[in-house]
Amino acid sequence: MAESEEEVDVLVQRVVKDITNAFKRNPNIDEIGVIPCPEARYNRSPIVLVENKLGVESWCVKFLLPYVHNKLLLYRQRKHWLDREALADITCTLLLLNPDFTTAWNVRKELLQCGALNPEKDLYLGKLALTKFPKSPETWIHRRWVLQQILRQVSAVSRSRKHPQGDAEQADADRSQRLSDQLARTLHQEMKVCSDAACRYPSNYNAWSHRIWVLQHMAEGNVKVFHDELSSMRLWVSMHVSDHSGFHYRQFLLKELITELSQTPASTTSSPQHRGSAAPSSSPPHHGHDRANGELSGAEAAGEEERRLGSTAALQLFHQEVELCSDLIRSFPGHETLWSHRRHVYYLWHHWRREHQHRCGSNRGSEPDCLNNGDPGLPKACAQSPAGEGVNGQRHAGEAMEVDGASPPDPRDSKRLKRGVQPPSAPALPSEHGFVSGILDGCCHPEQRRFALAYKKWLDTVIDQQP
Amino acid sequence: MGTQVKDVIVKPDAPSTLLLDKHADYIAAYGSKKDDYEYTLSEYLRMSGIYWGLTVMDLMGQLPRMNRQEIIDFIKACQHECGGVSASIGHDPHLLYTLSAVQILCLYDNVDALDVDKVVEYIKGLQQEDGSFAGDKWGEIDTRFSFCAVATLALLGKMDSINVDKAVEFVLSCMNFDGGFGCRPGSESHAGQIYCCSGFLSLTGQLHQVNSDLLGWWLCERQLPSGGLNGRPEKLPDVCYSWWVLASLKIIGRIHWIDKAKLRSFILACQDEETGGFADRPGDMVDPFHTLFGVAGLSLLGDEQIKPVNPVLCMPEDVLQRIDLQPDLLS
Ligand SMILES: [Zn+2]
Repeated sequence: MAESEEEVDVLVQRVVKDITNAFKRNPNIDEIGVIPCPEARYNRSPIVLVENKLGVESWCVKFLLPYVHNKLLLYRQRKHWLDREALADITCTLLLLNPDFTTAWNVRKELLQCGALNPEKDLYLGKLALTKFPKSPETWIHRRWVLQQILRQVSAVSRSRKHPQGDAEQADADRSQRLSDQLARTLHQEMKVCSDAACRYPSNYNAWSHRIWVLQHMAEGNVKVFHDELSSMRLWVSMHVSDHSGFHYRQFLLKELITELSQTPASTTSSPQHRGSAAPSSSPPHHGHDRANGELSGAEAAGEEERRLGSTAALQLFHQEVELCSDLIRSFPGHETLWSHRRHVYYLWHHWRREHQHRCGSNRGSEPDCLNNGDPGLPKACAQSPAGEGVNGQRHAGEAMEVDGASPPDPRDSKRLKRGVQPPSAPALPSEHGFVSGILDGCCHPEQRRFALAYKKWLDTVIDQQP
Repeated sequence: MGTQVKDVIVKPDAPSTLLLDKHADYIAAYGSKKDDYEYTLSEYLRMSGIYWGLTVMDLMGQLPRMNRQEIIDFIKACQHECGGVSASIGHDPHLLYTLSAVQILCLYDNVDALDVDKVVEYIKGLQQEDGSFAGDKWGEIDTRFSFCAVATLALLGKMDSINVDKAVEFVLSCMNFDGGFGCRPGSESHAGQIYCCSGFLSLTGQLHQVNSDLLGWWLCERQLPSGGLNGRPEKLPDVCYSWWVLASLKIIGRIHWIDKAKLRSFILACQDEETGGFADRPGDMVDPFHTLFGVAGLSLLGDEQIKPVNPVLCMPEDVLQRIDLQPDLLS
């Protein structure tokens, strides 16, 4: 075993080279790890590549880490010179062993800025570090910085397009298409990196909050991406019923989608749920600020139709979410996460409904049907609820609900039925109380009872006391 | 298919009395017997490590056992041209370690060891247009950094050097439906972030903006049958989360909502009778981080062998009295 300083020096330099070469030999390495191995074996490198897994034998880590660590710090203090290639190699080794070493990531940021590293390579290094350290805050922080560099590049390119003509126009369109493809790939890759890290460590706050950040910055307003995420998450949460962060992500998606669906119609021709392209948009999309369509004849009517469809779609989302949540609570009793999810969904629903009625109420003069359209089928939801409580059961529903229950049937419901669209049911206070009683009836699971009672108390105090 | 509550069992033979002398010996010896490897692994947060060790020593009345001059010289060597302080020599400056350095110097009543004007300039320069704070020049945004910024400025008496209204606006934009806070707008509530945000609102005089009943409810639901507190639903109890939840409850005036006796026995059970120090959970390896939060938690619970701790800054109250700083608490 290496003992003297000189021997350590030689050993470590060889190991750093071995790691660099392993990446050159196999650019598809997808996982790193330490192989328990207390002693060195002669004539064998401690770097082991099996299929796509890169392993470091444990005996060498205690030499390797302090060595590369100190080397980098000496460089940072301008006491030791390292060229760009050496810096890239050393920080790579260092970060695979200790990914929370902030300064090493910063050195790589500088290398990226001067073009000595490319962003994709760094996203790849981060991805590998996360296979062994799925929480590592500094790795996630660096990822966001790199992604921001990529976004900045893309928006710089799109800004530089100035009314090109002829061939230039074609070349420009190609380039812009390439960029948008690249962004779509990057977005997809980020989602994959987050999923992997989420599977490796339960309720991984950093992974899930990164995923939210990515959607906020790379897919803002892109309803298709949000819808796809919501569908793909359905199976995931069903298999991870304790993962509070995973469910929070679902709540985030739901909230964003509901907000999008409730926007006043924009100038897009498609209905709101189809707004947005498959490729992620780097610039903010056209929200409802586009008032230009107000000048077009017939746009108002189309807008109203769109709003109505948006409301129906929103209700559909709430309905499906509550159904999913009920199923999971019944199938997996005693999970606080599921009950917490129910609170959130109910809360979202509660506010969406209030806001909807409020907004429509203030426009009553021009849109007399809006109140009904904004809240279609709610009384039916109660009538259809498994607990069987009808409109008359709405003791706690508050003023808004009474107004709603008292309003005449919406003639458009029949039209919708003709088109084959079922009026979706959504959560309502009586049906929620019914759900809780249903759970408590004959339930001997102590935790399930505790969470059900806490939910009931939450409905009675938090929801009921709201203005 | 019965589910088990994610919790630990506190064994009957677990420690049930406070082993203060052992803890002081553990901290005093920590760092002298470290091997190269362990030291290297944690050097990226050295400055905070020193803050944890010194604060817990001060809370136990043992600060004189630490090497004051060596630590002050170290801090001086960690201040950079930009005014920010790094975790250790040769590392890059960051708000996290700037706060730790200022906290340490307050314990030693020696903030002038740093160029204070430059520290203030550094913090000021990290505030963004939307009021948020970046952790360093690379721009990561987090409500933790909002807390670091105002806590450092409060300790230096320079709160007026930033746009406080904007800073408050940003932190409030991270409030969730459950009354809690996350790291950024839209992020999940998390006990550590809640501690930072309620501490932030205390230091900026904005605690009335918190829905303390709702937040208090969420925080109390963190207590598990073992008595320990977790940081989010269905996570294991942990001494450090016990501190963050407890301190937040104290800040918003709802500390009486949890079972204090049970929490106390959970924290005591996390001591290591042989080595001294506290672990995250009973039976795990101890470290200075959990040792500080174990002792500070017991102080908040009213243990009179320990100096009173301030829930907002996690520093001894007598230190804050010396600099005349009294962050708001709700009653
Ligand atoms: Zn902990």
